[in-house]
Amino acid sequence: MDELELLKKDWKKQEKNLPHIEAQEIYPILLKKSSSIVKWIFFISLGELALGVFLNVFLADSEYWKTVEDIHLKNGFIVFYIVSYAITLFFIYKFYKRYKAISTTDSAYLLMKNILKTRKIVKYYIFYVLASSAITAFVTFIFTLLYSSDFDNIREDMNWPKAIGFGLLVIIIFVVVLWLIYSLLYGILLKKLHRNYKELKRLEL
Amino acid sequence: MSQKTEHTFVALLEKHQNIVHKICRLYTNDQAAHNDLFQEITIQLWKAYPKFRGDAKFSTWMYRVALNTAITLYRKSKRKIKTQEFENVAFKIKAEEYDDTTEKQLSVMYAAIKELNDIDKALVFLYLEDKNYSEISDTLGISEVNARVKMNRIKKKLRSILNP
Repeated sequence: MDELELLKKDWKKQEKNLPHIEAQEIYPILLKKSSSIVKWIFFISLGELALGVFLNVFLADSEYWKTVEDIHLKNGFIVFYIVSYAITLFFIYKFYKRYKAISTTDSAYLLMKNILKTRKIVKYYIFYVLASSAITAFVTFIFTLLYSSDFDNIREDMNWPKAIGFGLLVIIIFVVVLWLIYSLLYGILLKKLHRNYKELKRLEL
Repeated sequence: MSQKTEHTFVALLEKHQNIVHKICRLYTNDQAAHNDLFQEITIQLWKAYPKFRGDAKFSTWMYRVALNTAITLYRKSKRKIKTQEFENVAFKIKAEEYDDTTEKQLSVMYAAIKELNDIDKALVFLYLEDKNYSEISDTLGISEVNARVKMNRIKKKLRSILNP
């Protein structure tokens, strides 16, 4: 006899050993909060999107704009901020749409696919924030060397290729380390999901 | 949601709760985790209930949401409550119904199933629940052919565990 057929026969019998929860005990559960991975992802993602907005809004105070004006970057930065807000809004919209598409009534494969797609939007957003921050930091660095009064005395004798190379290296290292830490945390959070998704993808329709 | 909807849902869940308990036993190892997963599945079923259309069977719809919760949504609770491990006790059958060999075989098989990965567990679960391959492939989102192939591999694996 097929081993699983034997198991199937027994499977029905073990039902009588299962616990039974009365209706009265079910009602309070309906009021409890879910602690699902989707909820975690939702709040972590909101935090990440908010962080981008926070960096844009609160770090750019009047002193910051004064410094930017001194190094002739004010107009450029105004354009950059407008574009940046538009991009952030686009990411929030995409995230919301993807999040809404997550449904537990879909097949296991589709559910996992939609969760990973939602999370990917935020991953791209963080990539965008880091990349745009690196570019603005580099541009600010160059313009500071060119126009800031702090460098008036040494500008003449400066070794430009060396200074630019050094600035670029520091910024790249900083951004790459942040990206690696982020990817690692992201990987740990979704390890189980990735593993199961990979398994189902192999058996996909 | 209205009170009537709530009553209907609770009555349906109470009636079909065995499905949820069986999934909890398959995917958890102690009573605290079992209760935790039962709670999460109940919440997810309740949240998804507005999407439940009467034309489908409640139990069929339940399999999908409950399995999705166990495989994908559930995050193991950090609570460390010392409880008795289920192991095979959870599935232990009444000894008098089988001879020793059969009982031993079943016990080994249940233990082996607990060791399978999440997806294989889901396949075996649906198979044991007498679902056909079309339903299995629908629930998991895989092809029917692949579901059969995978199931045959699992059967072979279980056979080799029983007859080393």
